[in-house]
Amino acid sequence: MRTPGGYCGQALVVDVSDGSTTVLPLPEDVLRGYLGGAGLGTWLLTELAPAGVAPLDPAAPLAFVFSPLVGTPLTTSAKFAVVAKSPLTGLLNDALSSSHFAISGKFTGHDAIVVTGRAQAPANLLIDEEGVRLVDAAAQWGMSAAEAEESVREQYGRKWRAASIGPAGERAVRYATISHDGRHAGRGGLGAVLGAKNIKCVAVRGGKRVELADREAVLAAAKDLRNRSFGPATEKYRELGTLSNLLAFNAISTLPTRNFQSATFADAPNLSAEDLAQSRSVARSSCASCSIGCEHIYASKGGTKARVEYENVFALGPMCGVSDPDQVLEASARCDELGLDTISAGGTIAWAMECVDRGLLDVPWLRFGDGAALLRALDEIGARTGVGDMLAEGSRRASEIVGQGSGAFAPHVKGLEMPGYEPRTMQSMALGLAVNARGADHNRSGAYEADLKAGLDRVHGTAEHVRAAIQTEDRAAVMDSLIFCKFLRGVFTEPFEEWALLLSHVTGWDVDGEELRETARRIVMAKRAYNLREGWTASDDWLPERFLDGSLSLGSGRTATLPPERLRMMIDTYYAERGLGRDGRPLVMSTDSRTESRT
Amino acid sequence: MTYTVYSMNSSAGVVLAGGRSSRMGAPKAALNWHGSTLLRHVTGVVGRAVDGPVIVVRAPDQVLPELDPAVAVQEDPEEGRGPMQGLAVGLSAAAEHAETAFVCSTDLPFLHTAFVRAVLRGFQPDPASGWANPPDVVLPFVGGFRQPMAAGYRTDLAGRVTKLLEEQRLRPAHLFEECAVRQIDDAGFLADPRLAEVDPGLDAVVNVNTPEEYSAAHGRPAPEITVERYGVLATRGGGRGTVRIRAANLADAARQVGLAFDGHIVAAVNGDQIRGDGKLPLLAGDTVSFFSADAGG
Repeated sequence: MRTPGGYCGQALVVDVSDGSTTVLPLPEDVLRGYLGGAGLGTWLLTELAPAGVAPLDPAAPLAFVFSPLVGTPLTTSAKFAVVAKSPLTGLLNDALSSSHFAISGKFTGHDAIVVTGRAQAPANLLIDEEGVRLVDAAAQWGMSAAEAEESVREQYGRKWRAASIGPAGERAVRYATISHDGRHAGRGGLGAVLGAKNIKCVAVRGGKRVELADREAVLAAAKDLRNRSFGPATEKYRELGTLSNLLAFNAISTLPTRNFQSATFADAPNLSAEDLAQSRSVARSSCASCSIGCEHIYASKGGTKARVEYENVFALGPMCGVSDPDQVLEASARCDELGLDTISAGGTIAWAMECVDRGLLDVPWLRFGDGAALLRALDEIGARTGVGDMLAEGSRRASEIVGQGSGAFAPHVKGLEMPGYEPRTMQSMALGLAVNARGADHNRSGAYEADLKAGLDRVHGTAEHVRAAIQTEDRAAVMDSLIFCKFLRGVFTEPFEEWALLLSHVTGWDVDGEELRETARRIVMAKRAYNLREGWTASDDWLPERFLDGSLSLGSGRTATLPPERLRMMIDTYYAERGLGRDGRPLVMSTDSRTESRT
Repeated sequence: MTYTVYSMNSSAGVVLAGGRSSRMGAPKAALNWHGSTLLRHVTGVVGRAVDGPVIVVRAPDQVLPELDPAVAVQEDPEEGRGPMQGLAVGLSAAAEHAETAFVCSTDLPFLHTAFVRAVLRGFQPDPASGWANPPDVVLPFVGGFRQPMAAGYRTDLAGRVTKLLEEQRLRPAHLFEECAVRQIDDAGFLADPRLAEVDPGLDAVVNVNTPEEYSAAHGRPAPEITVERYGVLATRGGGRGTVRIRAANLADAARQVGLAFDGHIVAAVNGDQIRGDGKLPLLAGDTVSFFSADAGG
């Protein structure tokens, strides 16, 4: 069987209990049906994970998944997905990260590297063309991910690229990250899954080039795409990064503040990219193979450096009522050191702060607006000491421990903490947050795109909002599987058709836009099918009570509400449009051999 | 499975575009209004104030200037029967979507969203003012005159208006004789601090019927507004902070602060809807926020 261009045609499965390996052939119809990244990862998890396995059980697989575009000169293509069952949600989780690990990993000759089992002692997993080694990680255990990555490269050579966990992953914090080169597969607690396998670093070194079906066409397309990536559609990311959302979101009442008690933050200007870029910016950077360069690195007055993005500043700033930029930068850097997802950390701490305000939690030092308390809480979470041991479980489990109605304002969906988009004033996004397979997630839904462009009344969700959300979800499913960075999306005018053409150049497949649309739907449904197998029910597709019985005022004086019946209507419409029954289950079992095992 | 786009407690807008414009000597709907047309301006103002659809009622075969694609157009079945005919058509069309409608004529160049909202608030029960139940009509009584063409109507009045037309009772006063009319006078309107601030003279009801009136209205300066720029729109070219300018619509405002209102920029007016239509009218007291169209991430 000939392997299509862009692919290696196989996955490597490593059981770190004993270091044994298995090579899993990846049939062409699977590759064509799921592409790579999040899509192929979903297929792998469905095939390899025992049904009902606990996320931190040694038998639970964790997959690093590459894609057909990795290693090509196409801008933003050096990305990989990490896919596993989430210890926060108990459902499918995929998180993307970028840079050289993707290229080196794929060039080991595998489209995916799957880790199962549990090492006898803390270990690093080294993979190259010569084979697989488990080596002692005593020297790295306890280090931050960045320190561990550097330590491994110093010890074994600079050609190695490592993805690592921090102390939070070692201690099974349910929202621990896996990091590489300062970027993070951040959401859903994948670092805890790797930590439960006693693996500190997965290091890769590869030299196997992958054939492209039409190299000249790929090179021409890469040049064109690179030129387009310098245009106005990416200017925001290049010049200021996503933090430039913060003041704009504040102006349109969609900046979650003090655990979603407000959608505006009076001190937002203190944290704005417009100001901080002048006073705190120290460097700019980009992932490997990226011509956008969205990374903006700021330093606090104390000298601590942190990559700033909207999500980490929102979560550790307005969400916790903290307005001092130096404390927010310190908190962001602390999350990186510990290996914590900033969104879940900020959300869980903000929930605890509200519990303290309401007298439900006796932690008097943990108050909104107190940056020192925020830092202390992060340290306790990373160490699992004091109240941090409970907060390390995430807001859903913590609210089950505290009880007293605190679940009504725990900011999560399916256990995953909510990103920085207020659902009452962004009602396409409200649907996306509610129904997404990963939980409260902005990147797999992308429905904020519909709310932030002209045409829909963003505070009054309708069936039109649902259809718009489905379109963004489909586009995200393909982008996350090819993989292209989302920040590139604005340069495509006919995305499915353009992506199909690129994929044809790489693979040699005669693929068109309509096939990719079908692929998108397949991937979305495959995620839902996996979740169904793992115990998902329709009640999981919902939003916290806070959003359904409270109102917000816009600057215009208009009031934004999201009545439960409107959310119900939107979810029912989503199910109908997706071919699902009222219970969110497929009406018709798939006859597609690639999805049979899931349905 | 289908769902209505608008909930039934929302309000619609009805703009009556028919009429002979005989004193003006040219169709009022198509009169230039700061790079747009008077009809597009008025429908834009009404559209900003209501959360239901905006419906334009035109005379048979009347040619209308370009409108926002979201605006619906209905046609009078019969010409020359005055505003009651358009009212019947407009309310009937609006009834599918809304319980109430703000109804106005095309020739109100200074109509303000604050005025429209003040009228529609008149439908809220107000026992202290003797309105324990909502009225059928909210009728401005401004400057000593009733303003039936800048008023609020329950959409279920459509049948009653049609019946009056069949009886050849063609004046709005005939309708008011038969239903609960809540009049709001100058003092009542100006008790609304927002309206008092942005339209103290209640110019919202000033209409233009002659070339002289139109010329005088058009000669007034554009409304004063505040502009905020965010993200790269603020940091490039020294565009930080807020500025106060006079601008009639979004594209005009963008141009004055050095921005091209193309597909890469959107705006929110007063922190509300995201807008991409450069012809969206701006009004006194507005705050316009410009930011990158790709605002996620």
